[in-house]
Amino acid sequence: MGQLSLKNVVKTFGDFEVVKRISLDVQEGEFVVFVGPSGCGKSTLLRMIAGLEHTTAGDILIDGNRVNDLPPVKRGIAMVFQSYALYPHMSVYENIAFPLRVERAPEKEIREKVEAAAAILHLDSRLDQKPGNLSGGQRQRVAIGRAIVRQPEIFLFDEPLSNLDAALRADMRIELTRLHKQLSTTMIYVTHDQVEAMTMADRIVVLHDGHIAQVGAPLALYHKPENTFVAGFIGNPRMNFLPVTVQSASDEGITVEFQGQSLTVAVDVPADRRAALAGTQVSLGIRPEHISLGAGNAVIKITPTVVEHLGQQTIGYAKLPDLEDNFCFVLPGTQMIMDDQSVNVSFATSDCHIFDSDGQAFERQIDLSAMTVPAPVLSE
Amino acid sequence: MALNLFKSKETRAMIDRYSLIELIGIYLGIFLFLFFMLAPFIEGFLVSLKPLSQLFSTPYSFWPENGSFSAYVTMWESVPRFGRYIFNSLLISIVSTIIVLILVVPAAYAFARFQFKGMALVLGAFLAVSMFSGAVLLIPLFRLMRTLGLLNTYYAMIIPGAAFLIPAAIWLLRTYMMRIPIELNEAAYMDGASQFYTFRRVILPIARPGIMVVAIMTFIGAYAQQFIFALTFNSKTEFMPLPVGLFAYFGKQEVIWNELMAASFVGIAPAMVIIFFLQRYLVSGLTAGAVKQ
Ligand SMILES: Nc1ncnc2c1ncn2[C@@H]1O[C@H](COP(=O)(O)OP(=O)(O)OP(=O)(O)O)[C@@H](O)[C@H]1O
Ligand SMILES: [Mg+2]
Repeated sequence: MGQLSLKNVVKTFGDFEVVKRISLDVQEGEFVVFVGPSGCGKSTLLRMIAGLEHTTAGDILIDGNRVNDLPPVKRGIAMVFQSYALYPHMSVYENIAFPLRVERAPEKEIREKVEAAAAILHLDSRLDQKPGNLSGGQRQRVAIGRAIVRQPEIFLFDEPLSNLDAALRADMRIELTRLHKQLSTTMIYVTHDQVEAMTMADRIVVLHDGHIAQVGAPLALYHKPENTFVAGFIGNPRMNFLPVTVQSASDEGITVEFQGQSLTVAVDVPADRRAALAGTQVSLGIRPEHISLGAGNAVIKITPTVVEHLGQQTIGYAKLPDLEDNFCFVLPGTQMIMDDQSVNVSFATSDCHIFDSDGQAFERQIDLSAMTVPAPVLSE
Repeated sequence: MALNLFKSKETRAMIDRYSLIELIGIYLGIFLFLFFMLAPFIEGFLVSLKPLSQLFSTPYSFWPENGSFSAYVTMWESVPRFGRYIFNSLLISIVSTIIVLILVVPAAYAFARFQFKGMALVLGAFLAVSMFSGAVLLIPLFRLMRTLGLLNTYYAMIIPGAAFLIPAAIWLLRTYMMRIPIELNEAAYMDGASQFYTFRRVILPIARPGIMVVAIMTFIGAYAQQFIFALTFNSKTEFMPLPVGLFAYFGKQEVIWNELMAASFVGIAPAMVIIFFLQRYLVSGLTAGAVKQ
């Protein structure tokens, strides 16, 4: 009940391929988040799962049944729209009751279910109001209420919080996580806010140009991104990519030359690639938050052009000679550094990532289970 | 200091503040405009108050001397059928409006929401048709009516009138319905509602102000149009609408001007009342809160 599989799903608009052969399995009760930059096809994929958009090729299976040609209700799916899509002429009560009225449920059942949904969403005192008189957060809750009264097997959310201000978004995020615990239904959630993705997801699906760049638990994506796209997309500010030359590759990892320093990064390199790798250019990835002041495995002398003091942390941006983008570093607390004054920063090779010239990562030799919270036990 | 006409100066937005000179200019402009618009009505009303003899006195006096409302009483005696004419006018306009609404509301929805081949062509054709006024097509219409045996019936005045009002009404309502967010349709579809259910329970209530505008426009259009159709397609006095009926005040020797004017005002009154009631339903902002814009 609520298990979803996508098999080589394709969507084209005219000649334009928006979703390119996506395959994905979502377990029952799982909270899966689709993230990706604007225009990568998140909404399109979600609308195909919902049954609002025709599937050009491939199969969508729910609980093992092919549902490509079924309308949303028959798929057991409910969706919450980014724009709420409330019926403005109906009261909150009637909005939530709408799916039940369509089903011609008896009045008593409607009342019970609407009141139960309203209680979960703290809308009890608003049932007689029109959507126009509600705040953004309340409207979004009404939209969620309309989705939960039908007790679907799968919930779809398309950027449900993106119209809310930052504080409300944080509140609603917590409420949605709570709701997921309470209902333990499969939820698929689209966002481009990575905080939402990292905090709410059991698994994150990173989409890039219509294909899946990586699927995994939030911290797995953070610690072991499989390519430069995911490495750059997850984490804020984004990872620094430094061009370096490979000196040698062995069981210990890859030794690279960086500004006259020889660094050995512990990554797995397939034995047959080691010989060819020497002398080539690769990218050394290091996250801004893994950079510290003073000595370390690798030291760089930089002159930040801009320093931002946020109190909680200090963020600096510097130009490096062979780097187009700014080199960014995040230091904890308030650090006494100024722009246009040179300073030595360093990082540990154990925090580094290495990507080949195609942008694919060499897997880091780290124990992921020590760095990630244990996966939640999904209720049956 | 500007006049405190509506709000005190302090409570007005900066952009709404005008100097005294500007205010005088604005109101002078409004007055001139209104005077040109309303002068015929004012004169008509004054004429209805004057005794007939005074109308042809020289020098002509604008203001009625010993004016009275007696014309409003005697008009019913001069033309006993006048009540029937008012009724006919209302009947023709109301039935036309109902026919137009029944046809136009679903059509406008279809044009607003569905994509189909030849849609642009049909819409273009509607626009082209509404460029012809009924008058241009009177002769062919007359022949058509005669063939169908509809001459000298109410149908002859209702059907062509309604037909000519449909294209503009479709355009108007389609534009209104396109502004209803498509997400509402999608949400209803997600909730299992059929197209028809969505149309009835979601789209119709939201489109009500738009439908009211169309109803008012159509009613006024039908009212204004009926004269020409009645004149050509109908010769039975008992079916005559108000504008033709007014000719009854053109006597053999003289025109009873004061009664004619009084009859005009009395005749328009029911239509005005209907429009007044319709426009109370023109609530704007009914879609507030539907989607986040
Ligand atoms: N009906 C359509 N016809 C043609 N192209 C479309 C249609 N719907 C979406 N697209 C295109 O598909 C691409 C993906 O759109 P989609 O809405 O899925 O992006 P998204 O990932 O949800 O982006 P965002 O974060 O901005 O919501 C876009 O380039 C868009 O232009
Ligand atoms: Mg989107």
